[in-house]
Amino acid sequence: MKNSQIAIIIAIAVLVGYTLVRLGNSSTYSSFEDAMALNGEKTTVIGYLDLEDSMDFNPKTVQFAFTAKDKKGNSSRVIYNQPKPQDFERSEEITMTGYATDSAFIATDILMKCPSKYNEQNEVDSDKIYK
Amino acid sequence: MEYVGEHLWAANLGRGLTALAFTMALLSTFAYYAKGEDWKRLGRLAFRLHAISLFGLIGTLFFIMANHYFEFDYVWKHTSLDLPARYLFSAFWEGQEGSFLLWMFWNAVLGCILTFTAKSFEGPVVGVFAAVQAFLVSMILGVYVGELHIGYSPFILVRELQDNIGLPWTQFSDYLTRFPNFADGSGLNPLLQNYWMTIHPPTLFLGFASTLVPFSYAVAGLIRKDYKSWINSALIWSFFSVGILGIGILMGGAWAYEALSFGGFWAWDPVENTSLVPWLTMAAGAHLLLIQKNKGGVIPSALFLLILTFLLVLYSTFLTRSGVLGDSSVHAFVDLGLSGQLLIYLLFFTIGSIALLLYRYKGLPKKVKEDRMDSREFWMFIGALTLLISGLQITLSTSYPVFNKLFGPEGLITLYDQDKVLSDPIEHYNAIQVPFAIIIVLLIGVGQFLSYHRTSTQMFFKRQIATLVLTTALTALSAWALDMWNPMYLLLMWTSYYAIVGNLEFLIRWAKGNWNIAGSTVAHVGFGLIIAGALVSNANKDVISQNKTFIHEEFPANENLLIHQGDTVQMGDYWVSWTGQEEEGYYLNYVLEFFEEQGDELVPTFNLKPRIQLNERMGNVAEPSTKHFVGRDIYTHVTYADLRTIEEKGEEEWKNQFDLELSQGESHFLYGKYQVQLDTMVVEAPARSEGEFDYIVLGAGLQITTMDDSIYKVMPIYAVQGDEANHVDAEIEELGLKFRFERINYETNKPVITASEHAEAEEPFILIKAEVFPWINLLWLGSILMAMGTIIAMVTRIRRS
Repeated sequence: MKNSQIAIIIAIAVLVGYTLVRLGNSSTYSSFEDAMALNGEKTTVIGYLDLEDSMDFNPKTVQFAFTAKDKKGNSSRVIYNQPKPQDFERSEEITMTGYATDSAFIATDILMKCPSKYNEQNEVDSDKIYK
Repeated sequence: MEYVGEHLWAANLGRGLTALAFTMALLSTFAYYAKGEDWKRLGRLAFRLHAISLFGLIGTLFFIMANHYFEFDYVWKHTSLDLPARYLFSAFWEGQEGSFLLWMFWNAVLGCILTFTAKSFEGPVVGVFAAVQAFLVSMILGVYVGELHIGYSPFILVRELQDNIGLPWTQFSDYLTRFPNFADGSGLNPLLQNYWMTIHPPTLFLGFASTLVPFSYAVAGLIRKDYKSWINSALIWSFFSVGILGIGILMGGAWAYEALSFGGFWAWDPVENTSLVPWLTMAAGAHLLLIQKNKGGVIPSALFLLILTFLLVLYSTFLTRSGVLGDSSVHAFVDLGLSGQLLIYLLFFTIGSIALLLYRYKGLPKKVKEDRMDSREFWMFIGALTLLISGLQITLSTSYPVFNKLFGPEGLITLYDQDKVLSDPIEHYNAIQVPFAIIIVLLIGVGQFLSYHRTSTQMFFKRQIATLVLTTALTALSAWALDMWNPMYLLLMWTSYYAIVGNLEFLIRWAKGNWNIAGSTVAHVGFGLIIAGALVSNANKDVISQNKTFIHEEFPANENLLIHQGDTVQMGDYWVSWTGQEEEGYYLNYVLEFFEEQGDELVPTFNLKPRIQLNERMGNVAEPSTKHFVGRDIYTHVTYADLRTIEEKGEEEWKNQFDLELSQGESHFLYGKYQVQLDTMVVEAPARSEGEFDYIVLGAGLQITTMDDSIYKVMPIYAVQGDEANHVDAEIEELGLKFRFERINYETNKPVITASEHAEAEEPFILIKAEVFPWINLLWLGSILMAMGTIIAMVTRIRRS
């Protein structure tokens, strides 16, 4: 066999190997319920902020607690041991990566989606005019 | 109806030029591919007319943006009256439409250059350009065919938006002056109000545009069955592409590091990944062209990589602009509903070019004799293959959202019932890409000691004794100095030092001012430095803002340090004091003074001003501030600051209630600044008869000692008569402290005293995060060297040809 063919075969084998390894690294988006069932394994939950419940940030312990509802409508208290992100109240969707415990979902990473931030439409209010 | 105050001429001009640019691009494509000299001349003329109308249309868009014609949706969305003129460019390419225009601009410029330089290849090469341009212009056409819309025009008026048609306010002919909404625009995202945003996108898009040149040559070569005469031109252009795209990507990293508080220069974000991958494959393709030129025999792989690179640019465009990335990226574009059109664009060129390659595959010149294992070309080929595999891995992992769309619960074919996601992308990519990086830098080092055709074993080892010794010594020294013993990292460090030292040695001993070979060597030293710098600065990143007082060690929360105004706290080797904030335009600058311990004294060393950009409309954004030293950077940003005014904080006058339970003589440290001691208990309980009390009055004599040793004495009173309890609170106005004798805890027999702090007395505080990045300057030095080396290599090749 030619050298280059051997090289290509090795390379493909490496890629396939890594793809298999990679599957171990991935997780699925889940609900708070699924997260509970995972017994503390890391997972990602997409949800939104429940504004009816309180949002507490204690700067001395750098602990931010809020309540989120997942896509199935279940809510859970979420604890995030990082400073409260800017404009958290305005987020439309929150992607939380972390693990569930008995008392709360501990988020290690939070990504917010604020569509209004980048895609604001000029919504003209017909009642609001210059007098 | 005639609307008052609209600048319809601009809308008409802009749309007219768009239509002209589109038809000219189409005409040029067909003319260039028709046979005959006259057709070729027509194609050339049409392409130049296309370029001119494109420049005119870009000029028109600039004009309406600079003059704030807010009846235009694009102008309203991306500019505002208070936008400084220097950010006009950033505003121009903030949106999808503008960034498409930027891309088209470079394609037109490069295409026009090729009409002069491509000579006999002009037809098929510029023809590909014209076809690409036709697709790109269609993205901003803004034409409706029934329900289907083709492209999204930057010249659309707000009242013409689909959502607004027929709304009552559009019935007023003077709507522009009647409604305050049109007085000012929404403005540019504060994150993008930065000089990097002015230079990074044009460079990156020039890089993207430049990948089209080698692609076009490859397609032209396949069409003409000519696999020889264009190699040199494609080689020069592919090195141009590697250089410019590389600079563009690194500028993005520098921007993230300098101005965004993402906490580093590279975060493996999908948008970053999809611009890195074409660079990897282009670097691989360029090296294959080098082999082809010097030795030959790699035409099929070279063609494949040049074609693949452009297709990956298209794929990247599709990912970042179609809204597919949605949840997984912080900086993908807003979805304009162009995904269908983008997909057609991607599929057209993918199917077209791959089909052409397969159709011609049989006739492609193949290798006559196999490469020897001790030849340079064999290992260059392996290097190119490694770059390709590395790029494919990144592409696969970045494509999760696409797989979810295809095979997820709501996909075309459901293969799994829950969307998949990478749980820790940074760790995932680092773990997989480090071995690839090790192979690449090792080959960069080895390559310099190998010759084309064959290398004598004795020479191979003899030549590099000095390099091996020096590399090993340097690695040992660094590992010891940085206390870095992870074997994988040490291997990467050794190999990247090997690449740097080996190439430097070659430069000094053999190149000796010979520009012909200096270019690639300098670029390779640069690449080695980039890898070494990235490794050392990231693996040894040290968060020095440790909050040691409150928190459990395992929590990352202790990476943020709380500083009260005026306080001086220890942070790493420094003492830091926050003196207050300065207002500067939209910015609040938080002044941090850094002190160094020298003997018993604290000596001021430097100041940093991390800032928060205040933006009512779009939210506040924190920007870091970094102190650069030769050997390390100190990177700080404000992670939390209470920006509310006293009124906004609410009516709550007294806060931070805290219950003290003290026995006589016992003391407690309160709010981290007062010592409270229960001195005496005073009891007045006149007896009525037989052990019953008429009333009881209890007083708790408290002594409060402040940090500067002033002493205050107060006595809150608690009175009980029958079922009724009364409190007389004691207040210390100067300190803003209040004490209430709440009750007696009958279990412990101790008085419960509630302390509270006046809202105004609570000292302002901020949370900051500070990180030390050691030797990150190696990375920047490497970037500059790589850019310089690539340019030298390109210029010397142009000169020679």
